[in-house]
Amino acid sequence: MEQRIDYQELLDIATRVGVSLLKNGAEIYRVEDSIQRIVAAYGVKEVDVFAVPTTIIVTINPPEGKTLTKTKRIYSRSTDLDRIYRLNDLSFDIVEERPAFDEIERRLKAIVSQPAYPLPVQVFACALAAFGFTLFFGGNRMDALCSLTLGAAIRLIGYGMDLFHTNGFFINTISSAVTAFLAVFWVEIGVASHIDKMVIGAIMNLVPGVAITNSMRDIIAGDLLAGQAKLVEALFIATAIALGAGMVLSLHRLFF
Amino acid sequence: MPIHEILLAFLYAYVACLAFTLIYNMRGKFIFLAPLGGSICWIAYNLLNFTGNDILQNFVATMAVALYSEILARIYKAPVTMFLIVGILPLVPGAGIYYTMEYCVSGNQIAFGQSLVHTLAVAGALALGIVLISSLFRFCMLFWYHRKKKKHCTKV
Repeated sequence: MEQRIDYQELLDIATRVGVSLLKNGAEIYRVEDSIQRIVAAYGVKEVDVFAVPTTIIVTINPPEGKTLTKTKRIYSRSTDLDRIYRLNDLSFDIVEERPAFDEIERRLKAIVSQPAYPLPVQVFACALAAFGFTLFFGGNRMDALCSLTLGAAIRLIGYGMDLFHTNGFFINTISSAVTAFLAVFWVEIGVASHIDKMVIGAIMNLVPGVAITNSMRDIIAGDLLAGQAKLVEALFIATAIALGAGMVLSLHRLFF
Repeated sequence: MPIHEILLAFLYAYVACLAFTLIYNMRGKFIFLAPLGGSICWIAYNLLNFTGNDILQNFVATMAVALYSEILARIYKAPVTMFLIVGILPLVPGAGIYYTMEYCVSGNQIAFGQSLVHTLAVAGALALGIVLISSLFRFCMLFWYHRKKKKHCTKV
């Protein structure tokens, strides 16, 4: 590459790829590796990246010029596996092709702006997951059919409360409480027969499978801090679920 | 467990995991490939029914799905997490969390304690299974690349 590299821009673009990865639920080592790889592809050998689930700090020491640092705070995270897949591809393409920065920018925008599935599809998916897991855990057909409403309710509540930027703990508690309430309702009017199977099937939408998996993958990769943070997240999600369903079930026990 | 029940459980696990690929916004062929991991881990779980030790079953089933994920990730040059997150779902102790809570609410202290420890043990078994296979794969890949004198590459 003949023309001079704008290191500030390089730092910006590499950090943005990292932030997008982290926001969509990638593991910490993937975030750190990607940033390092991109920066190294443009000839900067000395680069330090520190990422935890809420922050990324990148410092590069270019061959000429001053040392540059950038810190990014991440406020919200979700799981979007398609974006992780495409961002991962992008970071490897950058290493191979070393495209111009505006080309990277264009591809990054295309990935980030691609919307998730529309809400009806998501509601359907959550309902289907509740349906499948209710059958899987031994519920009968009526349980599974009623469980569709539980799954749909979870997604709708999550969506509605997200609009008001409610915190995750509260969303999980309320979702789980409504789930338990609906299950009690279906059983009390005599349509379904197992409260436990329905609630278990539906709360699979909430249980911290992603947090447990990613936390372990972080810990193996040596990111103990991030691993711990996600483990705590998993425990908190589990507590929130138990709290929500527990409240409704104890009320049910009290009055019936 | 009779054979048709195992087949049904296989199907249910597939459907439930398929729904989760949509929730996690997967696209293309992965929508159909990733849920197979869930079915595979459920088969592994059921094959070990004779041991009567469900911690062991969870552990081995996790290793099976982790292996499947690592192989698939290398074939399709995709991150391992994509397959692992979806495939491991049937093992995530949702039922454990629920029953622990239920015993707590009903005031059954002994069952509560047992259920809590058991849920934690299952979560631990999942974690160990993932750790073991991932570390093993990393080690093997490094070994392989060093022997081939290739540039070390960890795309997955």
